[in-house]
Amino acid sequence: MATKKFGIVLDAKKCLNCKACTVACKFENTIHPGEDDYRIWVTELELKGTYPNISQEYQPSQCQHCENTPCASVCPTKATYKSPEGVVLIDYDKCILCKACMTACPYDARYENVHLHAIDKCTFCYQRQPEGREPACVETCPTRVRVFGDLNDPESEASKLLARNHTYQLKPERNTRPRLHYIK
Amino acid sequence: MKLSRRKFLAASGGAFAAAVAAANLTSLKAVAESGHGDAQTGEKGEKHIASSCEMCVNKCGFYAHVVNGRIKKLNPNPRFFKSRAMLCARGNAGAEEPYNPERLKTPLVRDGERGSNKWRKISYEEAFQIVAQKLAEAKTKYENRSSVAFFSSEGLQEGSFQMLAQTYGSLNTVRHPSLCLSSTIQGWSSVYGVYPDADLANAMFVVMPGANRAEALVTPDSMDFLRYRPKGQQLVVLDPRFTNTAAKADKWYPVKPATDMAFMLAMINVIINEELYNKDFVANMTEGFDELKAHVQQYTPEWAEKECEIPADEIKWCAREFAKYAPRSVIYPGRRTSWYVDDVAFRRACAIIPALCGCWDVPGGIVPKSGVPLKNPDIMYPFYDMVEERLDVESFGEFDNNLPDDARKEAGLPTDSVAYLGEKDGSWIRFREAVLRGEPYPVKMMMVYKQNFVEAAPNRAKTLKMMEMMDFICMIDIQMSDTAFYADLVIPESTYLERWDVVHSLAGIWPIATFRQACIEPVYQTKSMFEITGGIVDEMLKIPELWDDTDEEELEYFKEDFVEAILHAPIQDYIKYQVSGFENGYEKLLKDGVIYKTDQGVYGQSAKPGYRFKTRSGKIELTNVKYPDKGLDALPVYRRARQPKDGQFRFILGRHGWNTHTGTQNNEFLWEIQKENTLWINSKEALKLGIKNGDRVVVKSSVGEQTVKAEVTEKIRPDCVFYAHGFGRVSKGMSLVYQKGASQAAILEDYIEPISGNAAMHETFVTVSKA
Amino acid sequence: MAAHTENHGKSFLKSLIVNNKDIPAMPFIILGLILCAVGGFAVISVFVKGHHEAYGVTRQVPWGLLISSYAYFVIISTGIAFIGGLGHAFGYEKYAKISKRIVVLATIVLLAGFTQILMEIGNPLRMVYMMISPNFKAPIFWMGMFYGIELVILAFELYLIFKPNQTEADHKLAAVAGFLALLVGVLATSNLGYVFGSLNAREWYHGIYFSTFLVVSGVTAGAALLILVHTIVYKGSLPAELKPSMVSLGKLMGGGIGVMMFLYLWKMLSSIFTEPGDAYMSVMSLINGPLSFNFWIGEMLLAVILPLALIVTAKGSIKKLSMAGFIFLIGLFFTRFDFVVAGQLPPMRKGLAGSGVITDVAGFAFYSPSMLEWLVYMFGFGVFFLLYFSAEKFLNLETESHH
Ligand code: SF4
Ligand code: SF4
Ligand code: SF4
Ligand code: SF4
Repeated sequence: MATKKFGIVLDAKKCLNCKACTVACKFENTIHPGEDDYRIWVTELELKGTYPNISQEYQPSQCQHCENTPCASVCPTKATYKSPEGVVLIDYDKCILCKACMTACPYDARYENVHLHAIDKCTFCYQRQPEGREPACVETCPTRVRVFGDLNDPESEASKLLARNHTYQLKPERNTRPRLHYIK
Repeated sequence: MKLSRRKFLAASGGAFAAAVAAANLTSLKAVAESGHGDAQTGEKGEKHIASSCEMCVNKCGFYAHVVNGRIKKLNPNPRFFKSRAMLCARGNAGAEEPYNPERLKTPLVRDGERGSNKWRKISYEEAFQIVAQKLAEAKTKYENRSSVAFFSSEGLQEGSFQMLAQTYGSLNTVRHPSLCLSSTIQGWSSVYGVYPDADLANAMFVVMPGANRAEALVTPDSMDFLRYRPKGQQLVVLDPRFTNTAAKADKWYPVKPATDMAFMLAMINVIINEELYNKDFVANMTEGFDELKAHVQQYTPEWAEKECEIPADEIKWCAREFAKYAPRSVIYPGRRTSWYVDDVAFRRACAIIPALCGCWDVPGGIVPKSGVPLKNPDIMYPFYDMVEERLDVESFGEFDNNLPDDARKEAGLPTDSVAYLGEKDGSWIRFREAVLRGEPYPVKMMMVYKQNFVEAAPNRAKTLKMMEMMDFICMIDIQMSDTAFYADLVIPESTYLERWDVVHSLAGIWPIATFRQACIEPVYQTKSMFEITGGIVDEMLKIPELWDDTDEEELEYFKEDFVEAILHAPIQDYIKYQVSGFENGYEKLLKDGVIYKTDQGVYGQSAKPGYRFKTRSGKIELTNVKYPDKGLDALPVYRRARQPKDGQFRFILGRHGWNTHTGTQNNEFLWEIQKENTLWINSKEALKLGIKNGDRVVVKSSVGEQTVKAEVTEKIRPDCVFYAHGFGRVSKGMSLVYQKGASQAAILEDYIEPISGNAAMHETFVTVSKA
Repeated sequence: MAAHTENHGKSFLKSLIVNNKDIPAMPFIILGLILCAVGGFAVISVFVKGHHEAYGVTRQVPWGLLISSYAYFVIISTGIAFIGGLGHAFGYEKYAKISKRIVVLATIVLLAGFTQILMEIGNPLRMVYMMISPNFKAPIFWMGMFYGIELVILAFELYLIFKPNQTEADHKLAAVAGFLALLVGVLATSNLGYVFGSLNAREWYHGIYFSTFLVVSGVTAGAALLILVHTIVYKGSLPAELKPSMVSLGKLMGGGIGVMMFLYLWKMLSSIFTEPGDAYMSVMSLINGPLSFNFWIGEMLLAVILPLALIVTAKGSIKKLSMAGFIFLIGLFFTRFDFVVAGQLPPMRKGLAGSGVITDVAGFAFYSPSMLEWLVYMFGFGVFFLLYFSAEKFLNLETESHH
């Protein structure tokens, strides 16, 4: 494969709503506790039905690493950019904190990191790439909801999952072409 | 007597020394190579150190990512197959524990009324002197070493605390199981002789009565039931509450509380009457089938439907499916089972079903736990004259277990003795009752290792009353827990990331052993329980009155073989000895954090014909052989439980995946997930009471009341209410959760399961009204 | 006088200084000083506390009061420049008569706007990266460009109008500059609409509506402010030769409000029919949601109905026109605030447990400006009052006849 294309395939049906991923992300990426300070979240979707016929699902999510990248196009200093593998990253030194990217992101994936003095969001734990390690949220999950990998490599576990299952993306109408794929 | 003890001791002590010497030679080299030798020196640079988690009982392995002497992150250890190489929210948040602004940093002695939160800082040496002095006072004053009670919580350092208890010689040790799982241990053991596991990674049909594996994480079950769920596996969950586990189930039966046994008995009825059971297995491996068959005739599915509100057809379906997939079918044994006053009988009923269908010790069935063989030195403590029997054994005559419907209500507060008491565990509620009565002898002093009974044990008012009766209370913990808050002396322990802990075999289908090594230097020069015990014992040895009721020679041996050889030696020596049966065991531990014989599941050890089970008959006992000796039912007998009256709700307990009991709420990274608990109340009932989501409500039982926000939900039966454990705290030293939300201990009534001595915590009825 | 011994430049500057005794500038200068002091205190607090602590903006509503106040000022400025351009470049005699005030006012209002954006942006120093690694796709880059250029043009115009001994060439240059100010101003303001319109996530801003609306309401506001300022400066009794200018500005304002009403109508209606989309939620937040007071009282009553009624019934009464201008400028604040906030009230994710998103029962995100945000806004006014009325006091802003 010429270039890698990183992405995550999620099987949200396996999610326990245990929050291991959200806490792991905070330590891996030095994010302090705080109401708005998080890169990743696990939503309890609306309860369906009334007692006793009810069902509930959980939806873990984070920055979608959109191929069509609304946040990057509005960034005046190119602080938000894409890595060769298509990971959407932020050069914190260039961030002027105009917050245009925050308002542009259809997934509310960005927040102001007070300690970095810049906008921050999920990076697929890019700092782990040189060592070939999985992102923290992927690695720590008790039930392996997320599978991270090179979607250009048909042999990667992520590609295989994608090929084998029906999947969907969040907010397809925004035409962002997310790199997070949810198994139906 | 003395001679033979000494002989045995010499043998084991010698082996201990030899093994340590041998291990030292190889390990020195290995340490130099692996670079782990500098594990304790702090300083610059990055490193990854293998150790294990202490945020709950599972002890999951991790590699601590240490940057410039500070823990940055804990990452799951890929070799830790028991947890399927994961680390949960708490395990991750553990990285904060050494730096928690509210951790205990130095020993504190009370400097005002109990509970006034006035403390004076003292040194560890002073603290050890105070403890030794107080222990001596108790011995002299009451002439009974058992007048000092030793409460402890589960953990790799609990053994160090037990060393202190045994050195002192008190028989009153009170551990956590009787606030937790002693009834399921007793129930399953009464059938199989052991408390087994369920193989969720291979089972095709799983019945989970009440266990909440999605939120109360148990390795590897919580991982397996979703991650390695075999294709086509059916999961049936019985729970009055729609837990995250119920959300994952193929069928959720909102069972009427305290009637689960009816469901199980009816399943047995169907399996036997429709001849779905495994005839060979029953004939070869079990005892008492005919009695069982006769006994369950009364328990038809139609009868059960009326009791447990699960349709008869569903019960039949479960029985047939269970038998269809046998032996890959399980009834899940569960862990915290301190539910009802007849919990052991209920667990017996659960255990009988897989036995009927031969789901024993095969993949996908019920499987006895295996362990990793470790060596543990036999320590011979001196015999003392001034010691009395445990307080909670048979001190008030036999307990009549055959409670008729009304008597169960009347005897709602059973204080009689427990039929099968864990020798070292005791029965918590029973123990407190005896202390309060002061019979048969007074207990006047408490040594507590991390057991936060003020919030963990039902009926907080009584617990506080018991504490008031104490001459002296010493607490060892890492934060100012509620129990520490009312203590006289608080000794900080190092957090698990700052200390070395002995090796522990985690028994199960996939046995693995782990330990702890210090990932960082203690941030505040704190000590481990092992060092604390060493310090206290040293001080004790300076006080002659403490040793005048034992044999001098024995005492000398004790000093030599225990105090010198173990307590005064580095704890690493102990660890080396434990793994001396493994080639390069110690080096492996340092590098991998784990040690094991195989990473495959261990099955079939006890499935061979002729195998002798640890029951009286040596077989799987469908009908228990020894119970009738104590006047207990040989077979599970269903007695209709009390149910809440109009206007009352049954208060049920539980927790969420991001907190463990009362120990983790004051960690900011977990606290921000849930800042206070809320009362779950069924939306229809809430409507009747005029309660809206978010309203503050008063929850009141006969022993206390709490005010808490209501969460109006579809996720609970109309006759139950629930809030999570660990909130509404009384310790000002836990400022994040101090008086936030509601406490369970404050409103729980103190019922007891009389066979195992387990607390019965789902027997409290409450009223709910707008605040 | 000693001035003769000083160098040329200084004497040029000195020659500009006058002391206009009959202009009631002092109260406004004092007001400006007070606002600057209070606002300055707020500015310092913001730096001490950090933006995140100091401001009420959130993850869901990242743009708040200061973006509105920025838009409020800079769009008025470009509106004024637009009117100036009409006078200068297209020879609208009535506006040319007040061209000096126009240039000074436009410049100072623009500066007031810049205080707001400088306080809004978390790392203003890093704006050098807009030069080092510009993103030509980013509307904020163009926003910086256009407003920067606008400031340069206005500065040049200032130089030209205050230059002693003006030549015919200067007048021609001024005409070109005036035209450029108009052009760049329109570009800047419509681009501001695009700053919002380019936000993939926020449907409310999509389309051409806001670019148009901002330009129109800006020109309207420019007219309003010019009428108001002249009324103040002349204490209500304008020289006869300026009256036609004011009446004409009044007409411009009335026309502007008329176009705004037209735009409102179709924006509202078209958004209502996007149910259940975010634009629908935004319009509902105005009509019947958290912003409804702002919308009905502020935007509709103060910025549309009352001023229009006053203008229609003015019949040449400068008093009524200036009253209309005053009310409109108050109402316009709500218009800007609602514009910025309404688009962000529909959250990008539902406010469910665990999502981290907090919403009200109707599903709207929350935003209410913090005290410090209000005070920084006041700082903007302080800068405006202080500078503008100092200019009135110490400079001659009367436009002399060209011929
Ligand atoms: S760690 Fe996995 S199971 Fe837990 S909340 Fe995150 S995605 Fe869900
Ligand atoms: S999810 Fe948001 S932050 Fe992430 S790439 Fe897409 S637009 Fe950008
Ligand atoms: S990939 Fe890394 S940065 Fe992104 S959510 Fe997961 S842990 Fe956080
Ligand atoms: S389950 Fe979680 S808290 Fe328990 S030991 Fe494992 S990682 Fe630690």
